[in-house]
Amino acid sequence: MSKAYLGIDVGSISTKGVVLDENNHIKASTYLWTEGDPLYAVKRLLSALKAQLDSSQDKIVAVGTTGSARKLIGAMTGAAVIKNEITAHAIGAMSVHPDVRTIIEIGGQDSKIILIENGIVIDYAMNTLCAAGTGAFLSSQAQRLHINIEDFGEIALHSTKPTPIAARCTVFAESDLVHKAQIGHKKEDIVAGLCKAVVTNYLNNVGKGKKIISPVIFQGGVSKNVGVIKAFEEILGMPVTVDTNSHLTGALGVAILAKKSKVENDFCFDMTDIEFKTMGYECKKCSNNCEIICIYRENEIIDAWGNKCENGAIRKSYKN
Amino acid sequence: MKKLKASFPHLGSYHAPLEVFFTAGFGVDYIVPPPITKRTLEIGSRYSPDYVCAPFKYHLGNFIETIEAGANTLVQSSGVCRLGYYGELHEQILQDLGYKVHFVNLAKYKAPKPINFYNGFKEIKPDMSLTKIAQIFPVVLKMFEHIDEVEDFIRQNVGFESTIGSFDKVHADFLSDLRMIRKKKELNNTYRNYMKRFKEISVKKPNNPLRVGIIGEYYTIMEPFSNHYIEKELAQMGIIVDRWLNVSNTLLHYPKKEMKKHIEDYVKYPMGATSIPTIDRALDYAKKGYDGIIHVKSFGCTPEIDTIPVLQNISNDYKIPILYFSFDTQTSETGFTTRLEAFYDMIVMRKEAKK
Amino acid sequence: MNVVIRKAGLYTMKIGIPRALLYYKYKHLWEFFFDELDIEYIVSPETNNEIVRKGTTYAIDESCLSSKIYLGHVEWLINKCDYILVPRISDYGSGGTVCTKFQAIYDVVSNTFRDRNIKLLYYNIDPKAADFEMIAFLKMGKFLGKSKSRSLYAYLIAKQMQKCAQLKEIDEQKQRLSENKTKILLIAHRYNICDKYIGEPIITFLRELGTVPILGDIASKREALAKSIEISETLPWTFNKELVGSIPLYKDKVDGIILMSAFPCGPDSLVNDIVIRRVKDIPILSLMLDEHEGSAGIQTRLESFVDIIRLKKGDFNEKT
Repeated sequence: MSKAYLGIDVGSISTKGVVLDENNHIKASTYLWTEGDPLYAVKRLLSALKAQLDSSQDKIVAVGTTGSARKLIGAMTGAAVIKNEITAHAIGAMSVHPDVRTIIEIGGQDSKIILIENGIVIDYAMNTLCAAGTGAFLSSQAQRLHINIEDFGEIALHSTKPTPIAARCTVFAESDLVHKAQIGHKKEDIVAGLCKAVVTNYLNNVGKGKKIISPVIFQGGVSKNVGVIKAFEEILGMPVTVDTNSHLTGALGVAILAKKSKVENDFCFDMTDIEFKTMGYECKKCSNNCEIICIYRENEIIDAWGNKCENGAIRKSYKN
Repeated sequence: MKKLKASFPHLGSYHAPLEVFFTAGFGVDYIVPPPITKRTLEIGSRYSPDYVCAPFKYHLGNFIETIEAGANTLVQSSGVCRLGYYGELHEQILQDLGYKVHFVNLAKYKAPKPINFYNGFKEIKPDMSLTKIAQIFPVVLKMFEHIDEVEDFIRQNVGFESTIGSFDKVHADFLSDLRMIRKKKELNNTYRNYMKRFKEISVKKPNNPLRVGIIGEYYTIMEPFSNHYIEKELAQMGIIVDRWLNVSNTLLHYPKKEMKKHIEDYVKYPMGATSIPTIDRALDYAKKGYDGIIHVKSFGCTPEIDTIPVLQNISNDYKIPILYFSFDTQTSETGFTTRLEAFYDMIVMRKEAKK
Repeated sequence: MNVVIRKAGLYTMKIGIPRALLYYKYKHLWEFFFDELDIEYIVSPETNNEIVRKGTTYAIDESCLSSKIYLGHVEWLINKCDYILVPRISDYGSGGTVCTKFQAIYDVVSNTFRDRNIKLLYYNIDPKAADFEMIAFLKMGKFLGKSKSRSLYAYLIAKQMQKCAQLKEIDEQKQRLSENKTKILLIAHRYNICDKYIGEPIITFLRELGTVPILGDIASKREALAKSIEISETLPWTFNKELVGSIPLYKDKVDGIILMSAFPCGPDSLVNDIVIRRVKDIPILSLMLDEHEGSAGIQTRLESFVDIIRLKKGDFNEKT
């Protein structure tokens, strides 16, 4: 029997899972859509991972969770490590590219930049204003142009003269698109213009005041878009690396952190049969009306959070 | 004549000295403004112009809450940024909403001459006794100072308390005892007793704990609800928090000249409102090798936005990470904690790498 | 490109003037001052898309559009002159104070372009430190190597020319006020309404609609300052006082008022609300412009505003 480590990254759009062995090699991995139900998504994820493993050989001894539902899934799986996605992505990317200096990450709703020096994160930033310039923005524009989001990047590559588009805000971008199409801009130019707009928005907002140094790794859902990759390379004037496994980086990072934590807990895939439930209620003890989230295993409360003051239930603790 | 029930918008823990000032100085009732909550923000946002800075909305919401709690005389201060114009619009909005209250806008008496203060005070209560005010004023100022000293001590230690909640409990008792105080001697005794109690609380501080300095805009830095209780969050991560900006430092101990001299390599002129201490403290924390700096402000706060290019230069020169938070009325809790947790992880890693 | 360049004698020092913010207020004062001193200068071109793009790249995201554009103009001047003129204003003493942006702009520019090795020509107006305008200009003259008497002479001439230009403007506006057409008072900072990118399209469109735009900023400043008390007693900002004071001056001669601001202007955020709450019996439209606003949306709003005014006047079919 050899030890294995499970990393789960539950994002708003997709859920990713990775199982590592003692030498950080990936033994199993999968990803699927969250579909608005993280608990169910993780159950499906676990079944898929279990099918890839030899249960007589590998024994999962620690779990790490990250992503927006990290806490919930952490409570559900009894995780050793619950980490925010910025740290998880940095650790994951560094495990594959130890010399990385800049990580660009554009996901469904978030975008971030992480700067690394000598293997440690020295600075980072995340988008402040809205979802414009992220994956959600590109898919809504693709829909508007009747293009498959998967083909978006390829189409952009055919452009020789990208159309400038006012694209920080989704709403204004749409009226601008209609306008540009009316005055006869070609579809591939508009698509390339959108890719470029994503990059400039990113650099103006998230990347402001940050020195981008090569090697640059680009990850997150939008990194699958070759049009955006090309735009980044042109504007930055340096090569931008995208891994085939880049969507797994967060899960990978948190699996490594779980292993590093040296906290080992019993974990069994059978939890797919156990019933988990979350319930939110409004605390009425003061006019803050905090939304308290309780998580139940077989009707027994295992964790709760969301309270702003002492009247609430269980305190969170960062100290290990 | 109807009994005067005065109030001033809530800010941090300063309601005690204000209550003492109004009750003992003016001889009027003081309505302690309800603490800032989600409801304050909801009411405030509903009636405020859309893109005004968040403190305006908090103040408006809190004014309405104090009226509901029985206040009939509201006081608004003057200020050097947009704050200087809050009062007139607050008064107009409350009037348009049909509230019949006496609104004392100190911005009308803005020139910093004693006679103007006098006129402003007179508008609160025409038959006030200047002697009483003169007697209580030094006590009130000292009270502000003591509150700030106590909170400085708490920020240094609360992250390491053995029993969670010990500091909060003593702090609450301290603030409630202050409300009864009218004499300087009583104040000294109370302060000394409480400092002793604070020092007796058992703390387990590691040898070389993480240290973070907080800088930024006046209201957002001092009103915990508006900054998502950032100091509490940092304490729970086991971080010592330093903050210079508070009422007594800006009112009584403001070494403006020294600060301007200290930051002259970066800026030539004051950039408005709290920009000087923001930059001065950032530079000081950077020079002292703090693990990080957190800059907080409400969205659109011009003077603090203008300090950011300077802070970025300081961050680059001294290799100190700075986390920027811009709070508006919609800031999501998840977004906030993700960024704060990542900041924590980063400064931990940096610290380990330095060893 | 509309670039003003003046040739001078042997002395080759050249000053760059950003065509933004205070330029619109002090253009005659500055240009005649340098002319009289025989100093060559260059004014950056009218705001164009590239300048807006550059400004957005360098400015902090949350800054107002006007100051972003300012940084774009400064950037345009880099390497095209020896010194860039970036004055600083603390306040106008009893005339009121200014938005903190004008107190900060010198240091914002020097910190934003620190790595670009730029030299700034500056003056500071701060009545508390006895830095009045004349003294500030004498200091600037000294810095430029000119004698005190020459600088004083140049300043006085320039001041006179500025005054003449203002009187001429007011006169011209008087003519427009007597035209028998729908007249619309534009309450907007001069650096916004006169900017090619922000305000000019609005003026042009209002003219196309057959209306006569009247600028609130063209008025006797002394009268306007005094009149502003009628609308707001504690208004601290000089520029806003002048604008608000023009409402009582012109209100009876116009058919509607447009409040036009650049997102997210701090002073305007409060002042516009006061105006809307206190100025009754005349239609008011509030317009907020940012760098993403498409012109289509603005035009629709202007058109319907003018329609409403004409319906009210009962001459919906008024022709140009």
